Amino acid sequence: MSPSPDQPQKPEDSRREGIAFPPLSFDAQILALLPQLRRYSRSLTRSDAESEDLLQDCVEKALVNRAQWRGANIRAWAYRIMTNLHLNARRAIARRPSVGIEAAEGIASNTPPADPLERNRLVRALEDLPNDARAVLMLVTVEGHSYQEVADIMDIPLGTVMSRLSRARQMLRQKLQEENVIQLRSPR
Amino acid sequence: MSEMHPVAEADLHAYADGLLDEAGRKRVEAHLAEYPEAARMVADWQAQNDGLRNAFASYATTRPSDLQLVAGAKTASPPRRLAMTAAAVLVFALGGLAGHFGPSLFGKPMARTAIEALPQEARNAYLIYASEVRHPVEVFADQEAHLATWLGKRLAIDDMKVPNLQALGFKLVGGRLLPVADKPGAMFMYENETGQRITVLVGRNEDNRETSFRFASADNVETFYWIDGALGYAVTGDIPRNLLQQIAEECYRQFPT
Repeated sequence: MSPSPDQPQKPEDSRREGIAFPPLSFDAQILALLPQLRRYSRSLTRSDAESEDLLQDCVEKALVNRAQWRGANIRAWAYRIMTNLHLNARRAIARRPSVGIEAAEGIASNTPPADPLERNRLVRALEDLPNDARAVLMLVTVEGHSYQEVADIMDIPLGTVMSRLSRARQMLRQKLQEENVIQLRSPR
Repeated sequence: MSEMHPVAEADLHAYADGLLDEAGRKRVEAHLAEYPEAARMVADWQAQNDGLRNAFASYATTRPSDLQLVAGAKTASPPRRLAMTAAAVLVFALGGLAGHFGPSLFGKPMARTAIEALPQEARNAYLIYASEVRHPVEVFADQEAHLATWLGKRLAIDDMKVPNLQALGFKLVGGRLLPVADKPGAMFMYENETGQRITVLVGRNEDNRETSFRFASADNVETFYWIDGALGYAVTGDIPRNLLQQIAEECYRQFPT
């Protein structure tokens, strides 16, 4: 059942370097990024609706400005568009109240479900952060960017990344400690 | 902590974010052992990290409307080709999650068509033939050119190509003719050096209009399948999903479209 030993060997095997899907169109690459952009969008905003608005604006802007994309690191480029849109636009003038985070439907996540009370307490604490510090914190923790990548995405010096990160963390910590007078019981 | 570099706050952040190398970690840990207040602070940061990741993880998902979001936005990009690539991206990009998304990738159930029959037929063909020791195929790999011409003729594919998967460690065993959705179809079988086999099924159905890229899984036998115009393709095997995915990607690339 094994193929006969004299099977001709293809000489051009070396042409392949690693596996990559056939060259993707610009649109398809954006499409592939949507899940992580959706997560980032929700982590910056106060509600699902606001998050989807931001995502939509970001996709539109990316498609309109596709000529600006120079063929490298489309991921960082897309994060940059979304970050700028969020920080520049006064979309949240009305300061709509934040809506608790719901687990999206039918999602398989590797992380164990956290206590929803704890989760919403944390998300509410985010509300007090300045938008720029919040963006840095999310890019680092949730989106997994290095500090230098964050500096590039936000077009700020590395030192500014560190000071915003520091501010975000200290503010969150303080806020959570203040609220923590009654320790919520964790189900775990 | 007698090293030449004192530990700066930036090091503590990098430690909490897992961005330090081994030496850096050791240095910070030594520092934290000496300064309990700093240790509590870093532990709180790490708990924040976990909490934040956990809070937003479930949003990193596709939605049925994603395709419209991108394709509908504007532009005269050829929609069919985009939809195809897009669907492929969705399935392949999601890799491990594909099993959860595959069956309802685009939300709406389609009418029962050849596309639904395809994974079932691919699975059946795999189960029947891959376990066959002496006669897994009709034409063995030593007659690859003949195999391609013959099956190409039966499927009315002008330039039928037999995918070359050697770079992924799978050598062609051979191929056979078999019915796929009541029409002549082709099956190619491959084998790696440990004897694991995978099959690639090609079927024709002129009624296919849909463009779709999907994933199906049952009892460890997994199938990546896609429709491109009148042709349907399925890659089936009992191997790790990411490897099967690579094979499907390679086949997709090598089959003429």
